[in-house]
Formats: sequence, C-alpha cells, structure tokens
Amino acid sequence: MEGRKLTLRAAHDYDPDVPRLPLGSQRLVVVTGKGGVGKTTVTAALARAAADAGRRVLAVEVGRGSLGTLLGTPQLGGEPTRLAARLAAATIEPEEALRDFVEGVLRFRMLARRLLESTSFQVLAAAAPGLSEFLVLHRLLEWVDARRLGRRAYDLVVVDAPASGHSLPLLAAPRTLGTLARLGPIAEMLAKAERLLADPDATLVCIVTTPEELAVRETVELHRELTERLRLPVAPPIVNAFPPRRFARADIEGLDRLDAALGEHPYLRAARLQLARRGQAETQITALRRALHETPVRLPFVFTAPEEPAGLSALVAELAASAGLAA
Amino acid sequence: MTASLAELLEARRILLCVGSGGVGKTTTAAALAVEAARRGRRTAVLTVDPSHRLKDALGLSTLSDRPRRVPLGSLGARGAHLDAFLLDVKRTFDDLVVALAATPAQAQAILDNRLYQNLSGSLAGTAEYMAVEQVYRLAAEGDYDLLVVDTPPARHAVDFLDAPRRLANLLDSRAFAILKDPTSILPAAGSRLAHMMLSAVLRGLERFTGLGLVREVGEFIGVIESVTGALRERVRAVGALLTSDETAPILVTAPEPRLVAETAALVRGLAGIGLGIDGIVVNRALPRTLFGGAVADPGVPDGVSPALAARLRRCYTELRTLAARQEATLAPLVASANAPVVAEVPLLAADPGSLADLASLARHLFPEAPARAAPASGLGV
Repeated sequence: MEGRKLTLRAAHDYDPDVPRLPLGSQRLVVVTGKGGVGKTTVTAALARAAADAGRRVLAVEVGRGSLGTLLGTPQLGGEPTRLAARLAAATIEPEEALRDFVEGVLRFRMLARRLLESTSFQVLAAAAPGLSEFLVLHRLLEWVDARRLGRRAYDLVVVDAPASGHSLPLLAAPRTLGTLARLGPIAEMLAKAERLLADPDATLVCIVTTPEELAVRETVELHRELTERLRLPVAPPIVNAFPPRRFARADIEGLDRLDAALGEHPYLRAARLQLARRGQAETQITALRRALHETPVRLPFVFTAPEEPAGLSALVAELAASAGLAA
Repeated sequence: MTASLAELLEARRILLCVGSGGVGKTTTAAALAVEAARRGRRTAVLTVDPSHRLKDALGLSTLSDRPRRVPLGSLGARGAHLDAFLLDVKRTFDDLVVALAATPAQAQAILDNRLYQNLSGSLAGTAEYMAVEQVYRLAAEGDYDLLVVDTPPARHAVDFLDAPRRLANLLDSRAFAILKDPTSILPAAGSRLAHMMLSAVLRGLERFTGLGLVREVGEFIGVIESVTGALRERVRAVGALLTSDETAPILVTAPEPRLVAETAALVRGLAGIGLGIDGIVVNRALPRTLFGGAVADPGVPDGVSPALAARLRRCYTELRTLAARQEATLAPLVASANAPVVAEVPLLAADPGSLADLASLARHLFPEAPARAAPASGLGV
C-alpha cells in the first residue's frame, strides 16, 4: 500500500500542469507576501495540514497578529504553546527579542528597562543595521534546531513573516550583516542562518498573493528579489481567495437569456458578479504565470470566515493536496 | 459636528486618505480628486502606489516631481483643473541634505558617511518625512484649492504622518548630543545611568559585530548637525499643517474581518499624533438591498433548468453568507474609528482603472450629486 502511494505521488510530481507546492523534507517554511493577502491564514492552514500528516509543527508569527485566533488560541506567547498533539505556536516580538538580548548583556532587568526606554537607545537600535532582523532570525534558528529527548523538537517550523517590504530585510539579514560581522559568535550564527535559508532541502519560501493587479505585481517583484538577488528556494506563488468556478460554459447562454427576460433579479446579479470576478482572477493568475514561468497554487475564496473551523479546514485540505501531504 | 463627504470636499484644503493595504485607498483618492475638480476646485491628487491602468489614466507613467495635468474633457468637465503627482515614499533623505547643506562639500561629507548610508533609509522615518514634505511644498507653494493625498498602508500611515514630529524629536533629543560623543557622560540628572549602560551595550555590540558604531554615530551626528537648524524649522511647519483644521483624514476601509483590529490600531495611532478621522468610506460592500439579511430570498427565477437553478442558488447563497459576514464586521469597525460612514461603494467586478471608472466611482461616493445621469454600474459587467 505504502509503495503504491509513493508511486502515485511521484507521478503527481512530474505532471507539469498540476500546480504543486514542493514541500518535501524542509524544516523551515517562510510565508510572505503583500499585506492583507492572507499570509497568516495560509501559515495556519499549512501548519495544520503538516501536523495532520504526522509532522511535529511549530507555527510562528513575527509581531502580534491573528495566527493564534486562527489556530484556536487567542494569545500566543514568546515560548511555544502546545495546541494539539503535533502542533505548537509562538510569536516573536522584535521588541521583546531586543529586550531579552539587552538583558542578556546587562544581567539586570531594572537597568535594561531604563536603557530600553531611553531615546538614546532607540536611536541606536534604529542605527545598528539589521539588529532587529538579526534577533528574529536568531530566535527562529533556535527553534529549527531545538532538540528534545535526543531528536528534533519540530520537524517543521512555519513562519508567518512580515509583509513583503519588511520580510526582505529579514531574509537578507545574513548577507547584509555578514559583510559587517566577520568574526565571533554573531558571524557564526549568520553563516549558519545563510546556509539554512539557501538550502532547498531545508527551507522553502512561499509568497502568498490574491488575484488582484497590485498584489500580483508585488509578488512578481518579490519573487525576483528572493530568487535572483538572495538566491533562496522559492515555491510557486500561492494565489489565495480565488473565486471558485460556479458556472459551466454552457450556463452562460442560459444566463444571457434570463438577463434579457428578467433584468435585475438578485440571483442573476449574484451570478454576474461571480463570473466577472472569476474572469478578473483568471486574467491576473495568467499574468502571474507568464511573468514567473511557474504554475501558481490556487486556494479558493472562503465565504465563511477563515476564523471559523469550516473556513480554515477547506484551505487545510487544499494545501495538503497540493503539498502532497497525506493525512 | 459631522460633515458629509461633499462638505469635506468643498471646505477643506487637504483630504488625507488613510487605511489598510488593499482596500482601494489610491483609487478612492483619485475618484475624490476627479469629483472635486469637476466641482470647480483647483485640485491635485498625490498618490503612492497606483495600479498600471490608474497610472496611465492619471498620466503618471514616469516618476517625476512635476505635476501631470489630467485631461478631464472626456468627462464633460473641460474647465476643471486636476493635477496628479506620484508621492515617492522611497525617496531618500539625500535630496534634503543636498538642499539644506551650506556647501556641496558639506553635503558630500554627509552622503559619504557609512552610517548615514545605513541610517538615512530607516532613521526616524526620513523617507516618509520626505513624502510629507512634498505635500507641504504643494500646500504652501502650489496654486491649489484642494490636495487629495493617498498614504502608505495602515501601520505605515502613522509613521508617514508622524514623521515630522519624530524627526524634530530626534534633532532636539539629548541622544543626539550624546551620540556625538557617547563616552562623555553629561552630569545632568535623570538619564545618566542610562547613558552609562548605553556605552556598555555599545561596546558589547562593537565587540560582537566588529562595527565601529560609536565612532561612526559620532561622525554622522557631527556632520548632519550642520544642517539641523534649517531642518528643524521646516519639520515643525510640516507637522503644524497636518494637524490643522484645514486637513481632513478620511478612513478608507472594507468590511473584512482582518481590518477590524488593523483599523482600531490605526485609529489609535492617528489619535496619538493628534489626528481624528472625519469620515469613513467603505469599499467592497455587497449591496444590502440585494443580499442583506433583511431581504427575503426571491427564489430561483422561472424557466431555468434544474442544474442551472442549483448553481444560481448556490452562488446567491454564498453572497448572502458573505454579506452577513460583512454586516457583522462593519459595526465594530465603524465603532473603533469613531466617525460616520460618509459613503459606501459596492464590490466592483474589476478594479477601476480609467477616468470614466473614477467618475462612476464618484457617483457612489456622492450619491446626492446632481450629475447622476448614468445608473450605478457597480454590479454590472
């Protein structure tokens, strides 16, 4: 049985027309994209799908957002919270990471707090190039490598990274900082981070977008930056909120006849709106495919809120299918 | 005292469109500007990140400081005056340094400093400040009755609008003086301990990173201080304009769950810098008259095959579900903004891109307007 399943999956691999998320044995998945396209939802769904498939997963959010709500725990902390048998989640607050770092250097919490509150230090923190990115990466790396009882604590760490503009500095940090720090513990950690991020067997970067012009444009730019400049392993883009197909080609004629007869009937208005949005989305996904020469992964628009169990489950199933994650 | 969108459009000098990413801020700003121009105000629209089609429609295909006159003749508004500018929020501080430095050599010394090169992009929102400066220059020198200003998405909008104050604070801060020579700890009360610790951490960082931070920060402050007098004055004037009564912040939003928390955070951030929302424009709303919970399901129209009837029913039911979700979302969103909804724009089939699209969008923004010739085209194709 197992053997046959594997063969089937391998066949799936080579079908050029089937959009596929190349998730194999990677230990780190970084989810990024334009603000508001559903990065956090995709992160939550992917973490769920991988956990359902038997992997031990840690879902991580950078800054405070809605990852906890989506996974059923409103409040995430700086340390991983166990949510299910194989699923944990945590948040990395750059400011908290900075505080931890300063406390580590100064040893006294009181002193650290006074320092952190001083304008001088805030100026300095802004000045030290990539300090906060460094601290976020540092924390991530700890989790990717965390061990418990002699084996890895997590098979997979999925990160809901900051929106495009801010995830670039994060992903570029090992390079930009690496040129400044050549020796010492920081240089070592940066070299390690760079190796991990660039290794296609260890890391996968996913760009999420919606089928809308501005989001698609930003996705193309981000994809180029990540692959050409930073040379990171980037998955085909994930197009979220794709209006589902609701009408067959043959239906259109029937709708036209009804239009002529009935005009403003709400059922027809609904159908027209749906068809128009679907058409727009097709145009945008085609533009995306042409620009990147890759077949995007589609996730359907969810009419019930993704915060509701049914909403997220639909996406979990879709992602499990396209990533070849068998439950 | 709440004003309608039309009153704001006619009475204020600056309309600031704020809101989260992807809610149609840029398009709304453009539509407001087109309408203002048609009503006879000399108007300029300053946009941040227009779509290709909108860029083409506004004649903004190339990045430039010069205004582009938008030809409104096709809309039957021949005398109307509308200029469009592209706000460059990525513009560097370099231009300002060059403009304010006493000599080219002084400017060059600043531009060559390695720390300046790292800092100028991120420090105290200098890039955002430069964009706000553009707004100020137009308000002060441009010959316009009204500026309609698009802003960067939510979280950055506060950075953008707060940039003058933060830059002024930085210039006035003791940190500025101390960074110039971090080892000289001033005997003044209060933060002496903090500065001792700052030096300790600085040395720690230097050991770790190998960066000559202390020296480089000092050099940087040394050279940039030469231009701070002029900068300080400018920054203060820009801040005053933004918070004056002449400016009306308009929240552009959509009934989507993710926006509730984002909007609340944005409104808090804006309140923190002295800006209150004057009105809310809700985009992408499904018309309640068609899909709202209070409307009875009209049932499948007669004469439809059973297969098509099932599809039509499913499609209609999905939109009703979405409409219910929108209604539930809108109430907390409006409550957190603490301002009236001044317009509701239906979910459109496509992103508006042409001047004609903007004019039809304006009909949704100003339903009371006399020029109501064409029917609302929101749900049509």
